[in-house]
Amino acid sequence: MAATSAAVVDTPNVTEPSLYLEGIPHDRFTQLRAIPGLAWHPYEDGGFWAVTRHAEVRYVSRTPEQFSSAIGHTNLWDLEADALEARRSLIDTDAPDHTRLRRLVAGAFTPKNIRRWEETVRAITIELLDEFAAQGGGDWVEMVAAPLPIQVILNMLGVPVEDADYLVELSNYLVEGTGDAQSIPPDAFGNTTELRLLPFNSPASHALFEYGEGMRQQRQDDPQDDLVSHLVQAESDDERMSRSEYRNMFHLLVFAGNETTRTAISHGALALAANPDEWQRVLDDPSMIESAAEEILRWATPVMHMRRTVTADTELAGTHIAKGDKVVMWYASANRDEAVFEDAFRFDVGRFDAGRPNSDHFAFGGGGPHLCLGAFLARLEVTVLLEEMAKRSICLEQTSEPVRARSNFVHGVLSVGMQLRTAQ
Amino acid sequence: MAGGDDLVRVAVDRELCIGGGICEMLEPEVFELDDDIVISSVISDGLLPRDRADVVVDRCPGRAISIVEGVS
Repeated sequence: MAATSAAVVDTPNVTEPSLYLEGIPHDRFTQLRAIPGLAWHPYEDGGFWAVTRHAEVRYVSRTPEQFSSAIGHTNLWDLEADALEARRSLIDTDAPDHTRLRRLVAGAFTPKNIRRWEETVRAITIELLDEFAAQGGGDWVEMVAAPLPIQVILNMLGVPVEDADYLVELSNYLVEGTGDAQSIPPDAFGNTTELRLLPFNSPASHALFEYGEGMRQQRQDDPQDDLVSHLVQAESDDERMSRSEYRNMFHLLVFAGNETTRTAISHGALALAANPDEWQRVLDDPSMIESAAEEILRWATPVMHMRRTVTADTELAGTHIAKGDKVVMWYASANRDEAVFEDAFRFDVGRFDAGRPNSDHFAFGGGGPHLCLGAFLARLEVTVLLEEMAKRSICLEQTSEPVRARSNFVHGVLSVGMQLRTAQ
Repeated sequence: MAGGDDLVRVAVDRELCIGGGICEMLEPEVFELDDDIVISSVISDGLLPRDRADVVVDRCPGRAISIVEGVS
């Protein structure tokens, strides 16, 4: 496309991964939201249309016929055709492939079926919180935020929980892969595959594929009542799911099932520690927990963007966009859009109260078919965590600066010190 | 002039349904997701007050639910 908009010169850069070491560059997104129409953002040899306002993120999300997930890639950079095929997951498909794959896993993640995991989630949460309290605090990510979601998703998948630490380690390397600085060599974990063919260009993806293949063989011989067995059964019929689709699905469920909710729980702790009066409101009135959980999700925005590719010349926000253009929905920006969220930069646990007007946050995307598969699982985990913290009157006090992921894609926190503070 | 309390009839497009289960959470008397095929269907006469029908139409990620007719 020809970048002819006058806004080009003024577009603030929001893709430089190192920016995110200091947190989301909200001042730059605020500038972007104020630019009429869409802003053209240079990137590598080309660029993309930056979609930063709530209304347009919503529109793009809900119009998959015009904004494809299957073309090019759903990350900022394009993949070669063979790499796209090798790495294609639920995320990088349009209907009808998306519908077929989504239905294979959707049943496990419906609100009704997720509720059956509440007891498991609560038991894991209590164990982690009790240990954290007994120690008087420590690294919140290592002690609570990381182990809770990985243990839950492994329970659902039927993967041995003893392997949780290993799978979190792999996830950390995958997060690195979303940035620009990988700490492991291309042949780590015995990898011999070209990195461009692996999700996040990471040799850790090879390790996760291998792990998923091991699980597949085990469950083929000895099926259980778990999600992996269900997938293995589907994979045995190539019409339903190919081998490549199986391994990418396993990869997605393990990675997205732990990394994103870990991020939400990490930012939740940061927000509650920084806003003790807001947490006190919840302690005084536990009926606010559901709203507080939604506010934490809005505040955290664990996945900061997704990209789509335009299928036919069209117009968005008054800007002409051409077939093949990249369009990037910045959820991190839409979740601070003052046009939708009053006092958007205030952490307000009552924001999503049933009695108050509110709008959807985009922590799970902007709606449409790619709505986060695990949305109700994440809500359950955050809600149960807040309930158990409230029951114990656990108040958090931050003891060290967070170490943030060098990534413009996942809003990761690698570590942050927290200790207990006595309730007022 | 249709008001928010007026009854309308809703339907599910089985091709578009992605099995999110949000409809059965919001309106369990009207929608049920078949756990085997993971597709939602209408299990009642499909009648809902318009304002509630609008919510379930808006929340459906597959955009599979529509209002097929107004009933007066």
